[in-house]
Amino acid sequence: MSDILLQINDLHAGIEGREILKGVNLTVRSGEVHAVLGPNGAGKSTLSAVLAGKPEYKVLGGEIIYRGRNLLEMTPEERSWAGIFLSFQYPVEIPGVSITNFMKAAVGARRKAQGLPELSAGEFLKLLKEKMAFVQMKPEFAKREVNVGFSGGEKKRNEIFQMSMLDPVLSILDETDSGLDVDALRIVADGVNALLTPEKSCMIITHYQKLLEYIKPSVVHVLKDGRIVRSEGSELVDEIERNGFEGM
Amino acid sequence: MDSKVCRIGEGEHREITLVFAPGSAGPEPLVFELAGPGASLDLACLYLCDGDDRLDFDVRVRHLCSGCTSRQLFKGVCRGRSKMNFNGLIYVAPDSQKTKAYQECHTLLLSPEALAQASPQLEIYADDVECSHGATVGSLSEEELFYMRSRGIPEAEARRLQIISFISPVLSRLEEDRQREILDLL
Repeated sequence: MSDILLQINDLHAGIEGREILKGVNLTVRSGEVHAVLGPNGAGKSTLSAVLAGKPEYKVLGGEIIYRGRNLLEMTPEERSWAGIFLSFQYPVEIPGVSITNFMKAAVGARRKAQGLPELSAGEFLKLLKEKMAFVQMKPEFAKREVNVGFSGGEKKRNEIFQMSMLDPVLSILDETDSGLDVDALRIVADGVNALLTPEKSCMIITHYQKLLEYIKPSVVHVLKDGRIVRSEGSELVDEIERNGFEGM
Repeated sequence: MDSKVCRIGEGEHREITLVFAPGSAGPEPLVFELAGPGASLDLACLYLCDGDDRLDFDVRVRHLCSGCTSRQLFKGVCRGRSKMNFNGLIYVAPDSQKTKAYQECHTLLLSPEALAQASPQLEIYADDVECSHGATVGSLSEEELFYMRSRGIPEAEARRLQIISFISPVLSRLEEDRQREILDLL
């Protein structure tokens, strides 16, 4: 079996004094695609927020080990440098900061943390253009302010663009498929599939099953009321499709 | 203290950008008179307050005849225990019809002890005018901060980027060398 990338043990977490995750256990190995499905309010977004280190979410118990390190002691930026990427359900608008400057800061900080030399302006722009073309973003978006005035689909595409720029080891997609039409869904799926290698993993957190028609999960989990109640192969998707989450 | 008056005559356009770096003394009252038909003023001001700075703005823009336009944009940040106080008066004289006058003052507070206050005032004696004023005092957005950090941008740099984006409407009016000097102060 391949290496364990992420191990979540008995994780309890919540926000504003409310416990939302009530003992989550989950193990992700290199090369695996995990789907976390569940009804609204099950704790899916809390799980992604805790993994990315969103400050207002508090861990009340349990542990998360990522590549042998205690993830919960790492700042959000350290998690990013270590290869974790969260595609936001609601990407944030940053007025006054262009996509180019935003990515320059992100890529620069990451390379510095990894002890790599800075990219030259030419190298950076080449990478930027290549990745934008890959997710079919028009070149003029490079100058646009991050997510300002973007449609829902454009915002999600921008997330996948950033993901491919940062080339993460563990990608967490939080409801990336919601509000996407078929074409945009395909672009997102192609982006994710292209990044997947035997060393990399992906966690797809979703309410719908649409994206899973394009990205084949190795393991499917059902999260309900703060706990994982089922973990099986991709056949579980069909069962949920037929019967929903009732009775699980 | 009597202040100097900046008079803008018929058809004249005046574009002014003021910068107050940390440690600056507050300016004398800034008085502008739009004194000839079609005169226009485009005033922008950037202020960076720190430590125990105390910056008081007293801005008076007087529309004395018809068809004049004035725009004011004040943007800045307050750190430490600094205080910024903005008093802005737009006066539109009787019969100064077709006046357009806009005033905005926005401040970012970067420490819990910093203070900013804005009191815009309109005194309008003509009826065919378009005037607006707006003032905000806010702090950096935590949502934006987390989004940037999740992309690997260190917290301090993320805050700096947010500040730069906030002041950029005024900053971008300056020459590049001056812009760089100001960025070094952040």
